Amino acid sequence: MKVKVISRSTDEFTRERSQDLQRVFRNFDPTLRTQEKAVEYVRALNAAKLDKIFARPFIGAMDGHIDAVSAMAKNPANLKWLFSGSMDGDIRLWDLATRQTVCQFPGHQGAVRGLTASTDGRVLVSCGTDSTVRLWNVPLPSHTQDDSSDNDTKPLATYVWKSAFWGVDHQENGELFATAGAQVDIWNHNRSQPINSFEWGKDTVISVRFNPGEPNVLATSGSDRSITIYDLRLSSPARKMIMMTKTNSLAWNPMEPMNFTAANEDCNCYSYDVRKMNEARCVHRDHVSAVMDIDYSPTGREFVTGSYDRTVRIFQYNGGHSREIYHTKRMQRVFCVKFSNDGSYIISGSDDTNLRLWKAKASEQLGVLLPRERKNHEYLEAVKNRYKHLPEVKRIVRHRHLPKPIYKAASLRRIMTDAQRKKDERRRAHSAPGSIVNKPLRKRRIIKEIE
Amino acid sequence: MAEKGKKEKSRGEITQRRRRDGGEVRGRKRKSLSSSGKRKEEKKRRSGPRLPNALKRELERLNPTVDGEASDGDDEEIDSDAAVGNDVYEYEEGVAEEESTRNKRYDPVENYEFELPEDFEDWKVPSDGEEDDDENEDPGRHGRLLEDITGLSADAFGGKKKKDLIISEAYPECEFNPTGDILDGNGRISIHDLLDPLHGKSGFSKLRKDLHRMGKKTVPTLAPVARTDQERIERKAAYEQSKKDITKWEPLVKRNREAPTLFFDEDKELGYSTIGAIASEFTPRTDFEKKMASLVNQSEVVDAHKRDGARLLELNEVSIEDVKERQERLAKMRDLLFRHEMKAKRVKKIKSKTYHRLLKKDKSKAAEASIRMDPEAAKEHAMKIEFKRAEERMTLKHKNSSKWAKRILKRGLDAQDDSTKAAFSEQLSQHAALTRKINSIKESSSSDDSSDGDDSDDMSAGSDQEAAEKLIKKAKEKTLQILEGDDELPTSGVLALPFMVRGLKKRKEAADEEAKLALEEYESSLKQMGDTSKSRSSDKDAKGAPGGKMVFGAPEKVVNRTTKKEKVNNYYGDSDSESDADANADDNTLNDHTGKSLKEMDIDPSLLREEFGFSHDSVFKSFGDAEDPEPKTAYEVAYLSSDSWKKVRKSSDAVKGSEADLNVRKPGIVAQTENDPESEDDDEDSGTDSEVEMVDGILSSGPKSSYELPSQAELIQRAFAGDDVEEDFIKQKEAVLDEENPEPEKPVLLPGWGQWTGVQKRRGLPSWMLKEHEAAKQKRDESLKKRKDAHLNNVIISEKLGKKAEKLHTKTLPYPYTSKEVFEQSIRMPIGPEFNPVTAIGALNRPEVVKKAGVIIKPIEYEDVSVHERGEGGRKGSAPKQGKVNGKNRSRK
Repeated sequence: MKVKVISRSTDEFTRERSQDLQRVFRNFDPTLRTQEKAVEYVRALNAAKLDKIFARPFIGAMDGHIDAVSAMAKNPANLKWLFSGSMDGDIRLWDLATRQTVCQFPGHQGAVRGLTASTDGRVLVSCGTDSTVRLWNVPLPSHTQDDSSDNDTKPLATYVWKSAFWGVDHQENGELFATAGAQVDIWNHNRSQPINSFEWGKDTVISVRFNPGEPNVLATSGSDRSITIYDLRLSSPARKMIMMTKTNSLAWNPMEPMNFTAANEDCNCYSYDVRKMNEARCVHRDHVSAVMDIDYSPTGREFVTGSYDRTVRIFQYNGGHSREIYHTKRMQRVFCVKFSNDGSYIISGSDDTNLRLWKAKASEQLGVLLPRERKNHEYLEAVKNRYKHLPEVKRIVRHRHLPKPIYKAASLRRIMTDAQRKKDERRRAHSAPGSIVNKPLRKRRIIKEIE
Repeated sequence: MAEKGKKEKSRGEITQRRRRDGGEVRGRKRKSLSSSGKRKEEKKRRSGPRLPNALKRELERLNPTVDGEASDGDDEEIDSDAAVGNDVYEYEEGVAEEESTRNKRYDPVENYEFELPEDFEDWKVPSDGEEDDDENEDPGRHGRLLEDITGLSADAFGGKKKKDLIISEAYPECEFNPTGDILDGNGRISIHDLLDPLHGKSGFSKLRKDLHRMGKKTVPTLAPVARTDQERIERKAAYEQSKKDITKWEPLVKRNREAPTLFFDEDKELGYSTIGAIASEFTPRTDFEKKMASLVNQSEVVDAHKRDGARLLELNEVSIEDVKERQERLAKMRDLLFRHEMKAKRVKKIKSKTYHRLLKKDKSKAAEASIRMDPEAAKEHAMKIEFKRAEERMTLKHKNSSKWAKRILKRGLDAQDDSTKAAFSEQLSQHAALTRKINSIKESSSSDDSSDGDDSDDMSAGSDQEAAEKLIKKAKEKTLQILEGDDELPTSGVLALPFMVRGLKKRKEAADEEAKLALEEYESSLKQMGDTSKSRSSDKDAKGAPGGKMVFGAPEKVVNRTTKKEKVNNYYGDSDSESDADANADDNTLNDHTGKSLKEMDIDPSLLREEFGFSHDSVFKSFGDAEDPEPKTAYEVAYLSSDSWKKVRKSSDAVKGSEADLNVRKPGIVAQTENDPESEDDDEDSGTDSEVEMVDGILSSGPKSSYELPSQAELIQRAFAGDDVEEDFIKQKEAVLDEENPEPEKPVLLPGWGQWTGVQKRRGLPSWMLKEHEAAKQKRDESLKKRKDAHLNNVIISEKLGKKAEKLHTKTLPYPYTSKEVFEQSIRMPIGPEFNPVTAIGALNRPEVVKKAGVIIKPIEYEDVSVHERGEGGRKGSAPKQGKVNGKNRSRK
């Protein structure tokens, strides 16, 4: 007689230790499991719901300033340190882990408008409306722990200049920094005078950013509604583009040196390619008031914006609408936002004198994850991503609770844009074909490009 | 600089020439005027060339070498050609006065051009009287002579020679006045001309080189552009440059964008990794730690460690007492531990109250079930109960005889709390139950029968004739009710449909007929009971007959069955009239059949004979001769042949009783009906219909007729005569179509809608309404034509999307996908761990960006991603580079 049995070697199913997981043998024949799609859909749905339940993005507020926070700077060498300057001239160094002030840098007479730190994190540069540029020595982490009593430091250098400053940014891996004001000045750490000045037009320059990938290229935005590109190697401005409304701030994509995004006064953000400035690559819409500040995640895949409408939003680098919106009852106009150096936190500084710490992913589990836990999270994320187009999942993922004023303003804006669109359509329909050209939104807000 | 110098030089040249020309003209005039000036010139020549200082300086600056050399050559030239030399010096003097640019007293010369032909004419005229110039004199004379002799013009003889002479005069040869051969060329002195003399001389190589270099670039500089333009150009250049520079990032960025996953979780140096390294950093902080450290670091111990183990052993010496004490302590601890363990084990076994309650419930349930099913178990159970009862009687355990109960009683029941009271009363009740059981068991044995059937109560109680009579009467009443109760046909719902109505009618007719027959039978049986007082046994036989005869079960169960049967009978009647109890079709058909069969079986042979034309009852033809035992078998065969055996068997459960009755009593009945006029009277009482039947019955009992078995097809046709499947399907399909593509509503005229006031004449529906209706109809037709089952008559393909399925579909194609197929492919394969092997899951579920919390991500750094390298395989090419750059992002594949 022939007897058929399943035979497996004992090695396959014995555990080495009692903590080990029992090995499970599965037959992956798809005909055996015909409901896998439905199963995964339900999982995606549940994951989306759970995400909603666990979405607790707000970690904490950092209280200390006595006036609105006007500028912030990350410390590129230290993950948990953050500089912030306020309208009363106070500069503070925060420890994000404890949410305490580590030390203060007193000296500015007027509002601090720009803050930046060198790449090694040793020198802090600040400038403000009192027409001074101050360089500070950043204390070492070990020092601050020891003597917390004298946490006041004196500036390394103070340079008084002719006009008020509006912004400053430090070169990546260099010792140059650029200030924006009546003109763009390039400074060296060791010189008391700017080594180079650029002036193109007589309007004030309100923000300046160095390209982190290409350290000799910088971009500024001016009160003449312009965005200007400079190249330090040729010590000359390169290109200027004028839009319909002012650009409050801009940020380069750290992973794509040719791209930058401009935070505009018209509630939108515009992503540009430096090489092709006559049209935006992407228009990021959702804010309902002027966008005040913008910062890219170090991964280059998303960026955060702070707006005058009291919200912080997170966008995909190529997404037309925001992925996330953060707001609290007490948060007022947001003047500055930053992504943390590891891309998992967001810091916002607002009119209510507080800095706020947020998670970049609202429902992310903090702390150490076990490998199985992590795998499960990844799986749920993948499943959710796969079924994100299905109506139910989409609805749950997209749903956000908004403060009433913002909700109303958004719907009003929608009505207005719809009306405008309709009007344009009718106008086009009733005029000679070709006489009215339909400009895409990406080009509509650009007035001209100046050589 | 070089060009400028050159320009200046040429400018100087020009001015000199101008002066020269003008001076020459005048000089020549003067010459022609008087020869007295000649002596003066001679004197001047001797005193040396008196060039104006400025001119001299300029000359020197311009061409020092030439000047120096010229001084040598000058003499020669002057020697050879004195007249020319004189000329020059004369002109120079003159020019210095009149044409120096310093004072502008003199009019500037209008025309600097040298008008040669006029001049030639000019000097030719006075040449007649010129004697002092020998060279001029001779040819002139000679020419005149020749003229005189030949009569030809003098030019024909020595024109050329004359010309040469003239030129040499006009352009005195020096560095400023070029020689004739130069004039023949482009008319300028080139630097080469000046340099030629230097050729081969040493010490001038540098100069020559410089000049050579200068000579190469001869493009003139343009005038400077406006500043704005210049800046724009600069900016443009800068932009182009930076554009070009930034484009180098493109392949890298492209690679990163295309990569399914970006990795930013480069491992970082986090510090010590070995225990030794960590331990070496340790410094005692707390008191305990310090104490430990002081002990460990005692000099003796450390020394012992350093030397060898022997010393350590010495230090390690312990006393016997210590050891004993330790052992005792250990033993005690072990004992305690053991006790604790035991206790824990016991505690662990204790189950919760709920568990016990549920367990009890389960047990009791199981016991009940087993009692019911298993006689053995039942016996056991009874034994157990009996035992308990006995025990109770013996011990009076529950009659407050226990210590606890006594104590409570002593204290007084009122003083106790509620729970105690409850427990107390519980005890009492248990006792009561145990003692009462004796009675109850007795009761139950008798009440078994009574509970068995209310209907058959009378019948079973005595199981005598009266009971049977009662029963039959009851049945009769009920059938009468059915007959009389003419129900209305339903007017709405599914049952209102014509075919349903038809069916209902048919069924009703059948039921009526059957009821009549039953009635008849009851009558007869009643009569029989009345007339022939049969013994109880025979009566029982009548009831048990079907069981006995048809082998359908134990005789004792038949009692129940008969009652059941009657119920079923009633049920048929009910179902027919009310038509909602038998909703399911199977039952319907069954009922139909049973109804028919019942009817057929109830029919007397005489009846059958009467109904012969109605071939339906062919089966019972054999039944007609039911007087002898043989027909019965024939009847069974007939059933088998009609393929409805099973159904009949099922139904026969219900039918059997009466049927059996029939079988048994038929002869009797028939005889009675034939013989007894009384029965006829009774029938007449019962109803008009039954009278006819009776008459029929009497009639039919007459002659026998032949009967033929119907064919199989006929039988089937007959069996399914009621249900027209095809028509039903067509209707069903129409309904589905209507539901999925609803027919447009017929336009209804709303008063005032689409019309003016009542003044206007009514013209029916407004045209637009009709048009709309037409359009809607057309649309519906089209959509019906487009359906997949439009040409399939026997198929319904529903095109309605279920709501549940709708959830699993998108309304539009999602953004990055371009075709439906691609999108569906993308979500086809499951990605879960249940559906994929472990090795594949990681890749399937990997997120777009992998990063570690707490790792600083640096901005992108340039690396060369050439196309060639990528073609070979990205991973291979980029791996070593990534190894080099620590903490750098990269994309793995």
